[in-house]
Amino acid sequence: MTDWLGMLAAPRTPRPELKGRVVARALARRRRWGGPLAAAAVITLILGGGAWWAYRTIGRLTAERDGLVTRVQALEDTVSTFIHGPATRLIQIPVSTGGRVGSVTIFADSARHRWLVRCDGLAPNARDQAYQLWFITDRGMATAALMPMDQDQPMVMGLEMPRANQRVMGAAMSIEPRAGSASPSGPMVFHLLL
Amino acid sequence: MTSPKRLSQEQQRSLERRLKAGDERALGELFDLVAPWILGLAFRILRDEDEAEEVVGDVFVQVWRHIDQHDGGRGPIIPWILSIARNRSLDALRRRRRWWRKSAHVEQAHAAETGDIAPAAPHEAAVPGWPLHREVHAALATLAEEQRRVVLLSYFEGLSHREIARRLHQPLGTVKTRLRMAHQKLTEGLRHLKDWVE
Repeated sequence: MTDWLGMLAAPRTPRPELKGRVVARALARRRRWGGPLAAAAVITLILGGGAWWAYRTIGRLTAERDGLVTRVQALEDTVSTFIHGPATRLIQIPVSTGGRVGSVTIFADSARHRWLVRCDGLAPNARDQAYQLWFITDRGMATAALMPMDQDQPMVMGLEMPRANQRVMGAAMSIEPRAGSASPSGPMVFHLLL
Repeated sequence: MTSPKRLSQEQQRSLERRLKAGDERALGELFDLVAPWILGLAFRILRDEDEAEEVVGDVFVQVWRHIDQHDGGRGPIIPWILSIARNRSLDALRRRRRWWRKSAHVEQAHAAETGDIAPAAPHEAAVPGWPLHREVHAALATLAEEQRRVVLLSYFEGLSHREIARRLHQPLGTVKTRLRMAHQKLTEGLRHLKDWVE
């Protein structure tokens, strides 16, 4: 209750100009802080949003990089096994397609019954055609892979060799309809007995 | 003589709500209502018109910036503002005393500070809050002279118990007892004040 003791002092009429001065001073204080506070809030929002976006993007790119690293390591392992394996045989076949000279390289791994095939310098196919690779077996021709080539660039693929009672004796490549054929019917690119 | 107005609790609460909402016109209205009392209180403590006006400015800055800190449930806004004014005035007085001590003008300062307090002249009766001024004076008048003296030294000069004892050449325990009894009487006498009666 002693807070009311302030009313003991006699009131004094303020000079007329005091009100304007005091009110302006009080309002100036609040306004002075309003601008910087709003600016700080906007900057904080922008920085926070940027940090969140960067955090998400870095996380996504890191996961993507890790996935690619795993795939590259797996491919390196596969290729290394093909190339440096003790049972691997290297066959290089010069070919001519569409007036161009190219080559087909086969890493034949007889231990794992797998082939790694690389095609270089093959002419791109017509829109309704594709290259088809064949295994030559003691029971006839067996399809190995269908390779539509729309662009002029090298092609690499891994192939499983036929196992069931078939002995692979060689390889062949022909130009077939886009959907492939059950047996070679088009022009032969190469035919090689190993 | 102009008839004094009455500021009801509801009007006070409305004014406080508008201040909290940042209504700048409410600040002007508050000035019209309480500035004469803040200026009077600051002048009573400081005895200097310029310093008292400076205190008025400080008080309104503080009220405008920290109105959210006032809890309406704990009491009306006017005593809260008066306590800010008193604290600001005493801060200024203490700064001045430090300066005086450095300037070896202590005796002059004491001479200026020992005036008693009397009700304002009747021509001030149109000022908002006038009836309350009279009621607080009436409550003070119920105190014994020695109690009134210690209350005024404590409130208007911000002196500690020990400083009052030294000033009045009284034992410290006596001063404490007088202040305690005075506060009890004033609390009883001013308990009914809820509205800021004008």
